[in-house]
Amino acid sequence: MSTIASARLARRLGLLAALALISALAAVWLHQHGLAARLLRTEPAQILRDAGMMQQASRIARPVFQDHCATCHGSALQGDSSRGVPDLSRNVWLYGNDPIDIERTILYGIRSGHPKSRNIADMPALGRIGQITAQETRDAVEYLKSLAGAPHDAAAAVRGRVIYYTKGNCFDCHANDARGVTDYGTPALTGPYWLYGGDRGTLYQSIYSGRHGKCPAWINILTPVQIRAMALFLASDTHKPATGVGS
Amino acid sequence: MAASDNFYDFSRPSVHRSMVLLASGALIGLGIAGYGLFTAKGTRSHGVPPEAIALVNQRQILRSDFMTQVQTQYTTTFAQSSHEQRLKTLTDMIDEELMVQRGLEIDLPSYDPDVRGALVAGVELEVSADALAQQPTESQLRAYYQEHKDRYSSEGVMQLRDLVVTTGGSRTPAAAKLEAAQAAAAARSGQPLALVIKRFELVDSGRFMDAGHVDTGDIFQFAVRAKLDDALYNAALALKDGEISEPIAQADGMHLIAMVKRRFPVPQSFDQASDRVWSDLKNLAQTEVRAANIRYLRSRADILLSADARALEEPAK
Repeated sequence: MSTIASARLARRLGLLAALALISALAAVWLHQHGLAARLLRTEPAQILRDAGMMQQASRIARPVFQDHCATCHGSALQGDSSRGVPDLSRNVWLYGNDPIDIERTILYGIRSGHPKSRNIADMPALGRIGQITAQETRDAVEYLKSLAGAPHDAAAAVRGRVIYYTKGNCFDCHANDARGVTDYGTPALTGPYWLYGGDRGTLYQSIYSGRHGKCPAWINILTPVQIRAMALFLASDTHKPATGVGS
Repeated sequence: MAASDNFYDFSRPSVHRSMVLLASGALIGLGIAGYGLFTAKGTRSHGVPPEAIALVNQRQILRSDFMTQVQTQYTTTFAQSSHEQRLKTLTDMIDEELMVQRGLEIDLPSYDPDVRGALVAGVELEVSADALAQQPTESQLRAYYQEHKDRYSSEGVMQLRDLVVTTGGSRTPAAAKLEAAQAAAAARSGQPLALVIKRFELVDSGRFMDAGHVDTGDIFQFAVRAKLDDALYNAALALKDGEISEPIAQADGMHLIAMVKRRFPVPQSFDQASDRVWSDLKNLAQTEVRAANIRYLRSRADILLSADARALEEPAK
């Protein structure tokens, strides 16, 4: 009889344990859900100042980054200049370093085909379309080298400067001071970091044949909270005044 | 008591336990279904999801879009924007959403040419975004050049006359052919073309005119191609400076093509043609993507044609 009673007690305890486990899981789920809602409803600037919420954002973002973004941007966020994939570990952002700007890029992508993607301007193939000649392109390269403080042909750089402000119309997108414009996503041309590489051959290619970097739109792939968390995670790593990125 | 005993004894059947488990399963199932139902996209909801700032007739205005709009509208960071600025932006976005929904409600795209044009342009841009952003590699450019080498040459130029021995009246086609052959022979023997024209009463076909006069100057080869039919153009292609063709029968008589002067197209090297190759390849990619999109849309569309429209689609007899 006592064996039967203890078996019954064990079964009842088992059932209670199962119920407790289910309740705990439900509580955790509700908690997570609440945190996710908080991450979305709180202003990103406030979250950046809240260590607890930032920890939560990083916890969500890190695995998502490794699963979806590391293929192009590298597992250490280092990018790939051979493909024009920006190095996200640096404090250089084409479209601004505010988490709202980063979130928009993740949501809709760059030239992704999504109607809201960042697609205001392309780097035109200035040589291919006949706007400037091959020689003028080489002069413009020397001018960029001079802006970056690198060794350059001074006479060619002077000619290149004229191309920058006249025939090439470069100042229109890259700004008078060549530091780029985050509204257009145009990179700074002052170095030292260059999106596609700063050697003469690559710079020549960028000017002569144009560039059209892409980033997919994640709006239908990641959840809103994953996207917000990713934006915060990336912004927090390099949340200092933006300086732009070299082409 | 026995039923109660059996409830926890899984080695024995228990109606009570079965009912409780069935009810639990049903409740869990209903819970999951309910959650899915009330949180799925497009589900009517009385709560605003956390990622949205507002729901307008169940359509979300995303917080991200709202914050970006505030930043863009007031050229400031969202954190620095004022309460009034945010309110104004939100009101504008809700109003815009209402107008868009009204436009769809009254089926604006079905009759407004501007809306239709904007839709078509938007879809085309969306489908060709990949092709636009894609940069051909050096090897792709070279491969395309090799494949279409004949397209890359300087433009050929011709100075030519399309002369006719007309038929009709007393002149039979056979007589016209004989006269044309004699005229060609005279030209080949070295007689000046002007003299041959006068002697054999050759008339100009009138296909190459410039300000009301026969064009005796340089004409680009592509223009010659556009104005002559295959037989005449092929005859012209076979001629060099000072040569004249054999008679070619046409509806209005026997034609002779006299090539006064010709500058042949000069093939371009890859380096010379690379810019054209680049734009041709980019255009081709866009054209292919657009064509593929239209094929896809047609393949899934239900298009019914009237009898006369079907007749239009049949090849002309």
